[in-house]
Amino acid sequence: MLAQDFMNFFDVSRRRGVILSFGGDISENVLFSLGEVLKLRMSQGETDASVAKRVFAIFVEQAQNVIRYSADKVPRSTAKPGGLISAGVIVVGSQAERFFVVCGNELPSAEVPTLRARLDHLAGLTSEELKAFYREKLRQPPDEGSLGGSIGLIEIARRSSAPVEYDFQDLGQERSFFCLKAYI
Amino acid sequence: MDTIQLAATDRAPLVDFDFASGRLQLRGESYPEDAAAFFGPLLQALRGYLAEGGVDPIVCEVGLVYFNSSSAKALMNLFMLLEDAAAEGRPVTIRWHFAEGDETIEEAGEDFAADFAHGRFEMVREQPA
Repeated sequence: MLAQDFMNFFDVSRRRGVILSFGGDISENVLFSLGEVLKLRMSQGETDASVAKRVFAIFVEQAQNVIRYSADKVPRSTAKPGGLISAGVIVVGSQAERFFVVCGNELPSAEVPTLRARLDHLAGLTSEELKAFYREKLRQPPDEGSLGGSIGLIEIARRSSAPVEYDFQDLGQERSFFCLKAYI
Repeated sequence: MDTIQLAATDRAPLVDFDFASGRLQLRGESYPEDAAAFFGPLLQALRGYLAEGGVDPIVCEVGLVYFNSSSAKALMNLFMLLEDAAAEGRPVTIRWHFAEGDETIEEAGEDFAADFAHGRFEMVREQPA
């Protein structure tokens, strides 16, 4: 039973094209290690080098978003981004000849409208407009509450080959689950 | 002004800021755990050096094969300091190295170049090893 249960779990993942999946507490060290195996796996396959770089870039931005903005954090003495440990899920896979990177994490429901508005705005931009917006944001100080450059989501949208998909699920208790899927 | 030398790590670039000779260098990959903590002291040192108001030329060599968005923000801040110094008359040259065929890094360089009106921004195409 034990082997069958987990073999089934593993089989379903592989049939869905999953290259790696991680669910649980994510730190910068976890990001680094997952990124290393992802790079290695792509370098051994027949992945075009520029596609591999875009998958990696989107993976890093997504994983850092989980680490920085997940509402489900392991309490630590430091609030610096390098020391954060945050719960979430990251999945990288390939489906129908393209790669995908999914991340998911909890966030306060109060933040949903702002995040949704940012993503809706990005979804409506052409690649040239995304580039211009990225350049504009690069010159501005980070948004309030941002631990990075406030440009991670724009970077994800720019490096994607199809519109980014996103969804929110209300969890009650003023929490929601946020999920983002990018295709390369 | 002291020299800042940091060896490259798996995720942070080599840093060689030799203020005495006006040569600044960043090379490698850049997605540090905490970009603000990594680049903050570099920006602060550069700011201090520029505030001394020397007139010697500054050459900044940047050869990054990958950088995340937080690093892009930090690079922008670095370049703005250098462009401001150039606007005040300091000879400043940025040399942006990119591998032949690496469109992402080439395009990123062109984006940064667009912000230099006084400093020189040279695109340096390198043949892959």
